[in-house]
Amino acid sequence: MAVERVLPADLESGPTDEELVASTLQGDLAAYDELIRRFQGRLYGVIYHLTSNHEDTNDLLMEVFDKAYRSLPTFRGQSSFYTWIYRIAINRSFNFLDKRKRRQGAMSLNDLDEEGLPKVDLPDVSPQNNPNKAIVLNELQNKLNESMLKLSKEHRTVVTLFDIQGLAHAEIAKVMGCTEGTVRSRLHYAHKQLQKSLGIYLKK
Amino acid sequence: MSQKEDFSELQKLLHLKRLETPGREYFDRFLDAFHAYQRREILQQEPWYAKLVEVLCEPWVAGVPRLATVAASAACLVAGVAFFLGPTQPGTAQLADGKVVHPKGIVVAAVHDQAFKELQPELIETAAGGDEIQIPPLYVNGHNALAYDSRLTF
Repeated sequence: MAVERVLPADLESGPTDEELVASTLQGDLAAYDELIRRFQGRLYGVIYHLTSNHEDTNDLLMEVFDKAYRSLPTFRGQSSFYTWIYRIAINRSFNFLDKRKRRQGAMSLNDLDEEGLPKVDLPDVSPQNNPNKAIVLNELQNKLNESMLKLSKEHRTVVTLFDIQGLAHAEIAKVMGCTEGTVRSRLHYAHKQLQKSLGIYLKK
Repeated sequence: MSQKEDFSELQKLLHLKRLETPGREYFDRFLDAFHAYQRREILQQEPWYAKLVEVLCEPWVAGVPRLATVAASAACLVAGVAFFLGPTQPGTAQLADGKVVHPKGIVVAAVHDQAFKELQPELIETAAGGDEIQIPPLYVNGHNALAYDSRLTF
Protein backbone atom coordinates (compact mmCIF):
# COMPACT_ATOMS: atom_id res chain seq x y z
CA MET A 1 0.00 0.00 0.00
CA ALA A 2 1.40 3.38 -0.95
CA VAL A 3 1.82 5.71 1.97
CA GLU A 4 0.25 9.08 1.39
CA ARG A 5 2.73 11.89 1.76
CA VAL A 6 1.38 14.64 3.94
CA LEU A 7 2.33 17.95 2.41
CA PRO A 8 1.11 21.31 3.63
CA ALA A 9 -1.38 22.78 1.21
CA ASP A 10 0.12 26.24 1.40
CA LEU A 11 3.66 25.23 0.51
CA GLU A 12 3.00 25.76 -3.17
CA SER A 13 1.83 29.34 -2.75
CA GLY A 14 2.80 32.15 -0.47
CA PRO A 15 6.10 32.75 1.27
CA THR A 16 8.38 29.84 2.09
CA ASP A 17 9.06 28.84 5.68
CA GLU A 18 12.50 30.43 5.50
CA GLU A 19 11.03 33.71 4.24
CA LEU A 20 8.57 33.67 7.14
CA VAL A 21 11.45 33.03 9.56
CA ALA A 22 13.33 36.02 8.12
CA SER A 23 10.22 38.21 8.46
CA THR A 24 9.74 37.07 12.06
CA LEU A 25 13.32 37.97 12.88
CA GLN A 26 12.68 41.43 11.44
CA GLY A 27 9.82 41.85 13.91
CA ASP A 28 6.84 40.71 11.85
CA LEU A 29 4.98 38.62 14.40
CA ALA A 30 2.21 37.78 11.94
CA ALA A 31 4.83 35.78 10.03
CA TYR A 32 5.40 33.57 13.06
CA ASP A 33 1.65 33.14 13.43
CA GLU A 34 1.63 31.86 9.87
CA LEU A 35 4.40 29.38 10.71
CA ILE A 36 2.33 28.18 13.67
CA ARG A 37 -0.69 27.68 11.41
CA ARG A 38 1.43 25.68 8.98
CA PHE A 39 2.95 23.35 11.55
CA GLN A 40 0.44 23.08 14.39
CA GLY A 41 -1.41 20.09 12.94
CA ARG A 42 1.65 18.07 12.02
CA LEU A 43 3.50 18.81 15.26
CA TYR A 44 0.40 18.00 17.24
CA GLY A 45 0.33 14.63 15.50
CA VAL A 46 3.99 13.89 16.25
CA ILE A 47 3.72 14.82 19.92
CA TYR A 48 0.39 13.11 20.40
CA HIS A 49 1.50 9.82 18.90
CA LEU A 50 4.54 9.88 21.17
CA THR A 51 2.72 10.79 24.38
CA SER A 52 -0.78 9.36 23.71
CA ASN A 53 -2.30 12.10 25.80
CA HIS A 54 -4.10 15.15 24.43
CA GLU A 55 -3.60 17.36 27.47
CA ASP A 56 0.14 16.72 27.56
CA THR A 57 0.29 17.24 23.80
CA ASN A 58 -1.39 20.61 24.10
CA ASP A 59 1.10 21.75 26.78
CA LEU A 60 4.09 20.43 24.85
CA LEU A 61 2.94 22.03 21.61
CA MET A 62 2.80 25.42 23.31
CA GLU A 63 6.27 24.84 24.75
CA VAL A 64 7.65 23.82 21.36
CA PHE A 65 6.37 26.93 19.57
CA ASP A 66 7.55 29.12 22.45
CA LYS A 67 10.99 27.50 22.49
CA ALA A 68 11.26 27.77 18.71
CA TYR A 69 10.30 31.45 18.83
CA ARG A 70 12.93 32.20 21.46
CA SER A 71 15.58 30.18 19.60
CA LEU A 72 14.78 31.63 16.20
CA PRO A 73 17.82 33.99 16.25
CA THR A 74 20.04 30.89 16.53
CA PHE A 75 18.40 29.23 13.52
CA ARG A 76 21.15 29.35 10.91
CA GLY A 77 19.23 27.84 8.06
CA GLN A 78 21.66 24.91 7.75
CA SER A 79 18.63 22.65 7.84
CA SER A 80 15.11 23.55 6.81
CA PHE A 81 12.85 25.20 9.37
CA TYR A 82 10.62 22.17 9.02
CA THR A 83 13.41 19.79 10.14
CA TRP A 84 14.50 22.17 12.88
CA ILE A 85 11.09 22.57 14.50
CA TYR A 86 10.35 18.85 14.20
CA ARG A 87 13.60 18.19 16.03
CA ILE A 88 12.57 20.57 18.83
CA ALA A 89 9.20 18.84 19.10
CA ILE A 90 10.77 15.38 19.26
CA ASN A 91 13.42 16.40 21.80
CA ARG A 92 10.80 18.03 24.02
CA SER A 93 8.59 14.97 23.77
CA PHE A 94 11.51 12.66 24.62
CA ASN A 95 12.36 14.77 27.69
CA PHE A 96 8.74 14.65 28.71
CA LEU A 97 8.57 10.87 28.22
CA ASP A 98 11.73 10.38 30.31
CA LYS A 99 10.24 12.47 33.11
CA ARG A 100 6.96 10.61 32.88
CA LYS A 101 8.79 7.29 33.06
CA ARG A 102 10.61 8.39 36.21
CA ARG A 103 7.35 9.67 37.66
CA GLN A 104 5.52 6.43 36.97
CA GLY A 105 6.88 4.88 40.15
CA ALA A 106 4.95 7.51 42.07
CA MET A 107 1.81 7.30 39.94
CA SER A 108 -1.49 6.33 41.45
CA LEU A 109 -2.90 2.97 40.40
CA ASN A 110 -5.85 4.91 39.03
CA ASP A 111 -3.55 6.40 36.41
CA LEU A 112 -2.60 3.01 35.04
CA ASP A 113 -4.63 0.58 33.04
CA GLU A 114 -4.84 -3.13 33.76
CA GLU A 115 -1.56 -3.80 31.93
CA GLY A 116 0.36 -1.17 33.86
CA LEU A 117 0.51 1.27 30.96
CA PRO A 118 -0.49 4.89 31.44
CA LYS A 119 -4.08 5.47 30.48
CA VAL A 120 -4.39 7.13 27.11
CA ASP A 121 -6.84 9.63 25.70
CA LEU A 122 -8.91 8.20 22.94
CA PRO A 123 -11.07 10.48 20.83
CA ASP A 124 -14.29 8.90 19.67
CA VAL A 125 -13.63 7.89 16.08
CA SER A 126 -16.38 5.32 15.98
CA PRO A 127 -19.22 5.49 13.45
CA GLN A 128 -22.33 6.54 15.37
CA ASN A 129 -24.80 4.49 13.38
CA ASN A 130 -23.15 1.11 13.91
CA PRO A 131 -22.59 0.24 17.57
CA ASN A 132 -20.99 -3.16 16.86
CA LYS A 133 -18.47 -1.65 14.51
CA ALA A 134 -17.86 1.07 17.09
CA ILE A 135 -16.99 -1.47 19.76
CA VAL A 136 -14.58 -3.30 17.47
CA LEU A 137 -12.98 -0.04 16.36
CA ASN A 138 -12.53 1.17 19.93
CA GLU A 139 -11.01 -2.13 20.94
CA LEU A 140 -8.69 -1.99 17.96
CA GLN A 141 -7.73 1.57 18.77
CA ASN A 142 -6.99 0.62 22.37
CA LYS A 143 -4.84 -2.28 21.28
CA LEU A 144 -3.04 -0.13 18.72
CA ASN A 145 -2.19 2.51 21.32
CA GLU A 146 -1.06 -0.11 23.82
CA SER A 147 1.22 -1.65 21.22
CA MET A 148 2.64 1.75 20.29
CA LEU A 149 3.33 2.56 23.95
CA LYS A 150 5.26 -0.69 24.31
CA LEU A 151 7.73 0.42 21.64
CA SER A 152 10.78 2.44 22.64
CA LYS A 153 10.47 6.17 22.03
CA GLU A 154 12.86 5.99 19.04
CA HIS A 155 10.87 3.19 17.41
CA ARG A 156 7.59 4.93 18.15
CA THR A 157 8.96 8.08 16.53
CA VAL A 158 9.89 6.37 13.26
CA VAL A 159 6.49 4.67 13.08
CA THR A 160 4.77 7.98 13.77
CA LEU A 161 6.79 9.89 11.21
CA PHE A 162 6.67 7.23 8.50
CA ASP A 163 3.38 5.40 8.84
CA ILE A 164 1.19 8.07 10.38
CA GLN A 165 2.72 11.33 9.15
CA GLY A 166 3.98 9.97 5.84
CA LEU A 167 7.50 11.38 5.91
CA ALA A 168 10.16 9.80 3.69
CA HIS A 169 13.10 7.87 5.19
CA ALA A 170 15.54 10.65 4.28
CA GLU A 171 13.39 13.28 5.99
CA ILE A 172 13.06 11.16 9.12
CA ALA A 173 16.83 10.66 9.18
CA LYS A 174 17.35 14.44 9.07
CA VAL A 175 14.79 15.04 11.81
CA MET A 176 16.18 12.34 14.08
CA GLY A 177 19.81 13.07 13.32
CA CYS A 178 20.66 9.53 12.21
CA THR A 179 21.30 7.67 8.96
CA GLU A 180 18.65 6.42 6.61
CA GLY A 181 19.86 2.90 7.35
CA THR A 182 19.14 3.39 11.04
CA VAL A 183 15.66 4.67 10.19
CA ARG A 184 14.96 1.63 8.00
CA SER A 185 16.26 -0.77 10.61
CA ARG A 186 14.23 0.86 13.41
CA LEU A 187 11.17 0.85 11.22
CA HIS A 188 11.59 -2.81 10.38
CA TYR A 189 12.02 -3.75 14.03
CA ALA A 190 9.04 -1.62 15.08
CA HIS A 191 6.85 -3.15 12.37
CA LYS A 192 7.81 -6.63 13.50
CA GLN A 193 6.99 -5.79 17.11
CA LEU A 194 3.66 -4.24 16.18
CA GLN A 195 2.86 -7.12 13.90
CA LYS A 196 3.45 -9.51 16.77
CA SER A 197 1.07 -7.74 19.12
CA LEU A 198 -1.56 -6.79 16.54
CA GLY A 199 -1.40 -10.01 14.51
CA ILE A 200 -4.96 -11.09 15.30
CA TYR A 201 -6.35 -7.88 13.80
CA LEU A 202 -4.44 -8.22 10.54
CA LYS A 203 -5.68 -10.09 7.47
CA LYS A 204 -3.87 -13.36 6.91
CA MET B 1 2.21 -13.70 1.76
CA SER B 2 5.43 -11.75 1.82
CA GLN B 3 6.65 -9.84 4.81
CA LYS B 4 6.28 -6.55 2.96
CA GLU B 5 2.61 -7.29 2.30
CA ASP B 6 2.18 -8.11 5.97
CA PHE B 7 3.61 -4.75 6.87
CA SER B 8 1.31 -3.00 4.44
CA GLU B 9 -1.66 -4.51 6.29
CA LEU B 10 -0.16 -3.15 9.48
CA GLN B 11 0.27 0.24 7.83
CA LYS B 12 -3.41 0.28 6.96
CA LEU B 13 -4.14 -0.24 10.61
CA LEU B 14 -1.72 2.48 11.62
CA HIS B 15 -3.52 4.89 9.31
CA LEU B 16 -6.39 4.75 11.78
CA LYS B 17 -4.27 6.77 14.13
CA ARG B 18 -4.48 9.71 11.75
CA LEU B 19 -8.07 10.10 12.93
CA GLU B 20 -6.88 10.85 16.44
CA THR B 21 -6.85 14.62 16.07
CA PRO B 22 -8.70 17.14 18.20
CA GLY B 23 -10.52 18.66 15.21
CA ARG B 24 -10.52 21.98 13.40
CA GLU B 25 -11.97 23.97 16.30
CA TYR B 26 -8.97 23.22 18.45
CA PHE B 27 -6.56 24.42 15.77
CA ASP B 28 -8.65 27.53 15.08
CA ARG B 29 -8.31 28.48 18.73
CA PHE B 30 -4.71 27.35 19.13
CA LEU B 31 -3.09 30.61 18.01
CA ASP B 32 -5.02 32.66 20.58
CA ALA B 33 -4.23 30.09 23.26
CA PHE B 34 -0.55 30.25 22.31
CA HIS B 35 -0.47 34.05 22.56
CA ALA B 36 -2.06 33.82 26.00
CA TYR B 37 0.52 31.18 26.98
CA GLN B 38 3.40 33.42 25.86
CA ARG B 39 2.04 36.39 27.81
CA ARG B 40 1.71 34.19 30.89
CA GLU B 41 5.27 32.90 30.47
CA ILE B 42 6.67 36.42 30.18
CA LEU B 43 4.82 37.57 33.29
CA GLN B 44 5.96 34.56 35.27
CA GLN B 45 9.65 34.93 34.41
CA GLU B 46 11.72 35.63 37.51
CA PRO B 47 15.08 37.42 37.50
CA TRP B 48 18.09 35.14 38.21
CA TYR B 49 18.61 36.55 41.71
CA ALA B 50 15.01 35.88 42.75
CA LYS B 51 15.81 32.22 43.44
CA LEU B 52 18.87 33.17 45.50
CA VAL B 53 16.85 35.62 47.59
CA GLU B 54 14.17 32.99 48.05
CA VAL B 55 16.67 30.41 49.32
CA LEU B 56 18.36 32.90 51.63
CA CYS B 57 15.08 34.16 53.07
CA GLU B 58 13.48 30.77 53.36
CA PRO B 59 16.12 28.04 53.77
CA TRP B 60 13.56 25.61 55.19
CA VAL B 61 10.29 24.64 53.57
CA ALA B 62 7.67 22.87 55.68
CA GLY B 63 10.29 21.85 58.21
CA VAL B 64 12.57 20.34 55.57
CA PRO B 65 15.73 22.10 54.35
CA ARG B 66 15.78 22.99 50.67
CA LEU B 67 18.15 21.08 48.44
CA ALA B 68 20.03 24.32 47.73
CA THR B 69 20.43 24.90 51.50
CA VAL B 70 21.80 21.40 52.02
CA ALA B 71 24.18 21.77 49.06
CA ALA B 72 25.45 25.17 50.24
CA SER B 73 25.96 23.88 53.81
CA ALA B 74 27.86 20.84 52.52
CA ALA B 75 30.04 23.05 50.32
CA CYS B 76 30.82 25.35 53.28
CA LEU B 77 31.67 22.33 55.46
CA VAL B 78 34.03 20.85 52.85
CA ALA B 79 35.71 24.23 52.28
CA GLY B 80 36.14 24.70 56.05
CA VAL B 81 37.66 21.24 56.55
CA ALA B 82 39.98 21.76 53.57
CA PHE B 83 41.09 25.12 54.98
CA PHE B 84 41.97 23.79 58.44
CA LEU B 85 43.42 20.41 57.49
CA GLY B 86 45.24 21.34 54.31
CA PRO B 87 49.06 21.89 54.19
CA THR B 88 49.91 25.24 55.70
CA GLN B 89 52.81 25.86 53.36
CA PRO B 90 52.86 24.99 49.69
CA GLY B 91 55.52 22.49 48.70
CA THR B 92 55.67 20.66 52.03
CA ALA B 93 53.88 17.59 53.33
CA GLN B 94 53.55 16.32 56.86
CA LEU B 95 54.36 12.68 57.62
CA ALA B 96 52.56 10.52 60.16
CA ASP B 97 55.44 10.77 62.61
CA GLY B 98 55.29 14.51 62.51
CA LYS B 99 58.23 15.07 60.17
CA VAL B 100 57.90 17.49 57.29
CA VAL B 101 59.01 16.52 53.79
CA HIS B 102 60.40 19.13 51.47
CA PRO B 103 59.90 18.58 47.74
CA LYS B 104 63.68 18.31 47.20
CA GLY B 105 63.82 15.27 49.48
CA ILE B 106 64.70 16.88 52.76
CA VAL B 107 62.95 15.50 55.79
CA VAL B 108 62.74 17.78 58.75
CA ALA B 109 61.68 16.80 62.23
CA ALA B 110 58.67 18.63 63.54
CA VAL B 111 59.28 20.21 66.89
CA HIS B 112 56.41 21.39 68.98
CA ASP B 113 58.28 22.18 72.16
CA GLN B 114 58.35 25.83 73.07
CA ALA B 115 62.08 25.57 73.74
CA PHE B 116 62.74 24.69 70.15
CA LYS B 117 60.74 27.52 68.67
CA GLU B 118 64.00 29.20 67.85
CA LEU B 119 65.79 28.05 64.76
CA GLN B 120 67.59 24.73 65.32
CA PRO B 121 69.85 23.92 62.33
CA GLU B 122 71.21 20.77 64.00
CA LEU B 123 67.81 19.05 63.65
CA ILE B 124 68.10 18.94 59.90
CA GLU B 125 68.32 15.54 58.25
CA THR B 126 69.17 15.55 54.61
CA ALA B 127 67.81 12.69 52.59
CA ALA B 128 70.08 13.38 49.65
CA GLY B 129 73.26 13.68 51.71
CA GLY B 130 76.82 13.46 50.30
CA ASP B 131 79.25 16.15 49.34
CA GLU B 132 78.44 16.34 45.64
CA ILE B 133 74.86 17.48 45.93
CA GLN B 134 74.51 20.79 47.63
CA ILE B 135 71.03 21.27 48.90
CA PRO B 136 70.33 24.38 50.84
CA PRO B 137 69.63 23.37 54.44
CA LEU B 138 66.26 23.92 56.00
CA TYR B 139 65.50 25.31 59.37
CA VAL B 140 62.75 24.32 61.69
CA ASN B 141 60.80 26.93 63.56
CA GLY B 142 58.65 24.53 65.52
CA HIS B 143 55.90 24.09 62.98
CA ASN B 144 57.17 24.30 59.46
CA ALA B 145 60.32 23.82 57.50
CA LEU B 146 61.83 27.01 56.18
CA ALA B 147 64.13 27.25 53.20
CA TYR B 148 67.58 28.53 54.02
CA ASP B 149 68.32 31.89 52.61
CA SER B 150 72.02 32.64 52.44
CA ARG B 151 71.32 36.33 52.54
CA LEU B 152 70.05 35.98 56.07
CA THR B 153 72.57 36.78 58.72
CA PHE B 154 72.41 35.54 62.27
